[in-house]
Amino acid sequence: MIFSSITFIYYFLPILLIIYFIMPSKYKNLVLLFFSLLFYFLGEPKYIIILILSCIINYYLSKLIEKSKHKKIYLIIALIYNIGQLLIFKYTDFFISNINSIFKLNISYLYLVMPIGISFFTFQAISYMVDVYNKKHKSANNLITFMTYLCLFPQLIAGPIVRYSTVEKELKQRTHSYDKIGEGIKRFIIGLSKKVLLANVLGEFSKSIISETVLSSWLKPISFTLQIYFDFSGYSDMAIGLGLIFGFKFLENFNYPLIANSITDFWRRWHISLSSWFRDYVYIPLGGNRVSKIKWIRNIFIVWFLTGFWHGDSWNFIIWGLYFGILLVIEKLFLGKYLEKTKVLKYIYTSIIVIISFMIFNSTSVSEIFINLKNMFMLNNLKFINRETIYYLRNYLFIFIISIISATPLLKNIVNKLSKTKLSKALNVLEVIVLISLLTLSTAFLIDESFNPFLYFRF
Amino acid sequence: MKNKIITIIFILYIFIFSILGIIMKDKLISESERRKLKTFPEFSFTSEYVNSLDKYFLDHFPFRDNFRSIKANFNYKILNKLDNNGIYLKDNYIFKTNYPDNQKYINNFIDKTNIIKNKLNENNNVYIMIIPDKNYYLKDKYFLQLDYDNLYKQVGTLNIKNIDIKDIMNLNDYYETDTHWKQENLLKVVKRMSEVMNFNYENIDYKINEYDNFYGVYYGESAINRDSEKIHYLTNEELNNVSVYYLENNDLNKIYNIEKLNSLDAYEVYLDGASSYIEISNDNANSDKELVIFRDSFASSITPLLIHYYKKITIIDNRYINSDNFLKYIEFNNQDVLFMYSTLIVNNSVTLKG
Repeated sequence: MIFSSITFIYYFLPILLIIYFIMPSKYKNLVLLFFSLLFYFLGEPKYIIILILSCIINYYLSKLIEKSKHKKIYLIIALIYNIGQLLIFKYTDFFISNINSIFKLNISYLYLVMPIGISFFTFQAISYMVDVYNKKHKSANNLITFMTYLCLFPQLIAGPIVRYSTVEKELKQRTHSYDKIGEGIKRFIIGLSKKVLLANVLGEFSKSIISETVLSSWLKPISFTLQIYFDFSGYSDMAIGLGLIFGFKFLENFNYPLIANSITDFWRRWHISLSSWFRDYVYIPLGGNRVSKIKWIRNIFIVWFLTGFWHGDSWNFIIWGLYFGILLVIEKLFLGKYLEKTKVLKYIYTSIIVIISFMIFNSTSVSEIFINLKNMFMLNNLKFINRETIYYLRNYLFIFIISIISATPLLKNIVNKLSKTKLSKALNVLEVIVLISLLTLSTAFLIDESFNPFLYFRF
Repeated sequence: MKNKIITIIFILYIFIFSILGIIMKDKLISESERRKLKTFPEFSFTSEYVNSLDKYFLDHFPFRDNFRSIKANFNYKILNKLDNNGIYLKDNYIFKTNYPDNQKYINNFIDKTNIIKNKLNENNNVYIMIIPDKNYYLKDKYFLQLDYDNLYKQVGTLNIKNIDIKDIMNLNDYYETDTHWKQENLLKVVKRMSEVMNFNYENIDYKINEYDNFYGVYYGESAINRDSEKIHYLTNEELNNVSVYYLENNDLNKIYNIEKLNSLDAYEVYLDGASSYIEISNDNANSDKELVIFRDSFASSITPLLIHYYKKITIIDNRYINSDNFLKYIEFNNQDVLFMYSTLIVNNSVTLKG
């Protein structure tokens, strides 16, 4: 099931809200766990067993890590289990395909369907095990608490990757208030609108343009960059909002990444829970930057190879990750200092690099990446513009303008400033009207569309 | 206080719609979209179940058409979009984008037509008339048009005697809210056909009957509120007395099914709408010639105007019947044979059978 569906908003959520809020506090985790498993089950009935098994095995291994003398062995078992599970379900066919092409073999594919959200809940489980090993927090006091953490439906299938330490206290005891619930609802509606009113519409744009022109070869990755930002940050907003409704405070996952002034800055703002996961559980354990320059460069490339590979079982994702690795090394070695001195150039540089990165991300093969690059940089003798490009640019012009403005903190800053003036009361009324309008519009757009899964479910 | 209000309004909003969704009686069909709505799916342990459930809830959401209308208006008026779901509004007309050229389907059209052509007798006089859809006559600086020149050129490779009507038609010959052409405007097309097909065109008197509550297929798709338009059907003594055989509707022995005027698609008044095989016999025709038409729905409204010129007209809609089946009912000898389709079918011939 996905959040941006009529089934979730108008049926799953109301039933959960009634049962959750009439239950006494001691049963609230149980209600959340039951509905989280139901949420997963409704999306992927077969693989619910993988999720439950993952919960049970990790829970008991964490107890062993905490109590046993051989805690390192149990940690290694836990890592092998979690990483192995991810490798098997997500990457088996990728490995088979590469082995076949390198050794000219003909091993048949397994065509395993990837359990939804496995990349996210596996990473949460790993962070939990490592943190228990490092005594950053204690293991969960009982299986229900641990399962509630790992399966909590707002973040179960597309993140953010929540650390146990972030929600540890709230899992044991949390408060509910109109302030939290109201903020949660606001966040949920904003996220829903980002997904339904912007990301989905931008997706239509990319699909509609068929003929190739130089302008369209730029517009498509620009549109995709905005689309994936609103798709994924919209999902994170909905997750954070739902978390608040049920008394949890997740950390922010995006911080206006498209206004970044360097790639280093971009990755501080984009999918923060993933980049901080790789920082804490791969980069720093490898020695981070407190090693020789060669080892530091090695560490960066390992992290960015893995970041790319995490996104999918295809070479374009690996190239996408390594592309960022190379740029981060260049920025750290010399380009960063130079860019800092510029006023506009650093933004243009970052935008172009990011747009090209998502072109790579969205390509289906390595050869397509090179064709797209040639198209973008006028090396394929394409027309600059044609009637079709003009039509779709004109058709989606307002959406582009709204999307670009919404990708900056401009509106947020205006609202913050106005809220400190005499207009704050009027602003409050306006805010309620805007939220209800957005919910109505999102509902209207959902009703008019057919089934529409999130982009990030592929990962 | 603000958060309390947001919470209460949101809760009321989602609860009201979910309760209404449960207590309101399910509709069987969507009148505006002319399709069957999903029924409540049977439970199964598959992800398909949730997909079906989603589709069911989407189809039966309270005030569904109003929500679709909100979206359409928001797209046209606030986002200033040129089209909503491919529906393009210009003056009073509703158009649907038929873009780009679909080579696969054009090839399929040519293949299927060749299959039938090869089953004809060498004494048959064979003609083809490809009716431009109304987008052909939309003059607009933005609108994306099919490459009609390319489409007609490719149809030309069939080497069938062509009846070109592009120059005599105009936008006014089509309904504002529907794909089809207006019967009352088609006498000029019959005249053009007579010039190519060698029958003696006559100025015949018709009574023009009017029905003024016609909403075409694009009306529902557009989700925009607008007035209905008029649909006419031409009658005279001769047309009232022909004998008509419908393969699927044996009881109807008339060229017009007046009851269909009050159905979802009033255009089905002509020849009962979708029918795979029809025979019309006219003892008062001005010749002994016979005509076989392979066709799509555009033929339904023009065929009555051809009845005077042919003793027998056989109408075969090869979207619904293939040659193995229609050859059980017809034998080709020296009839005139006309392939008559709109450009919409040529560019999307997925349903055509050979």
